[in-house]
Amino acid sequence: MKIGEAVRVTGASVLVEGDMDRELGGAISGDLLSFIMAEAREGWLWITIQTHVNAAAVAVLKEVPFILAASGRMPDRTLVDRCSVEGITLATTPMSAFDAAGALREAGFPISS
Amino acid sequence: MGQEPYVEEYAIQAGDFSAIGEASTKFKATLKMLGIASDLVRRASVIAYESEMNALIHGGGGMLRMTVHDDHLVIEASDSGPGIPDVQLAMQEGYSTATDEIRELGFGAGMGLPNIQRNADAMEIDTEVGRGTRLRATVAFKQG
Repeated sequence: MKIGEAVRVTGASVLVEGDMDRELGGAISGDLLSFIMAEAREGWLWITIQTHVNAAAVAVLKEVPFILAASGRMPDRTLVDRCSVEGITLATTPMSAFDAAGALREAGFPISS
Repeated sequence: MGQEPYVEEYAIQAGDFSAIGEASTKFKATLKMLGIASDLVRRASVIAYESEMNALIHGGGGMLRMTVHDDHLVIEASDSGPGIPDVQLAMQEGYSTATDEIRELGFGAGMGLPNIQRNADAMEIDTEVGRGTRLRATVAFKQG
């Protein structure tokens, strides 16, 4: 699934538009930064309620191209700015992380390998 | 014939949480520029990030240094913080002394040192209560 489609499926509002045609290789959901550092893979979508600037550093280091803030969390200005610089797509969805994941799976998002 | 190792070093400022990951991100850019294989870059990035985070959160700031040799790289973090009273306990996944405030930001999950160990070919911790902590992690470049 492409980033643009994942945005549409989760009803998300885009704050930073990166490469919306980028194909997502998988997805992970979590709010512990070290857990994401350990488990995320290059090209994955990251669903989280962490909306401070440090999320961008994790995404850069793990080459995560799309951060989706869940439960209507509004990313800090500093996170928006950093994602812009790094070309990371940043969006916020009113759905919980659970519901966003469910909607993505229902729309055919493949099992992450 | 061996070349001079490449050294890059940054100060980790106490209390500047928004800066966590800055030094690691610079290291990563350097490694990519040096043409290091991407899986090694990713491992080094995890080590650098967790070391940087530890030095800031637990060590009250310090230094982060990366040395790139022909066949391996070394990431060293040093701080003058409180030291680690029980390293074995600190190595246990999930054990953390981080405050609630830090945990709410998603740090302090008790995964830092285990993450470093998992991604390093060798890891040494030299710590003394009241003096500080030095961590040294090595990633070898040898291919399968």
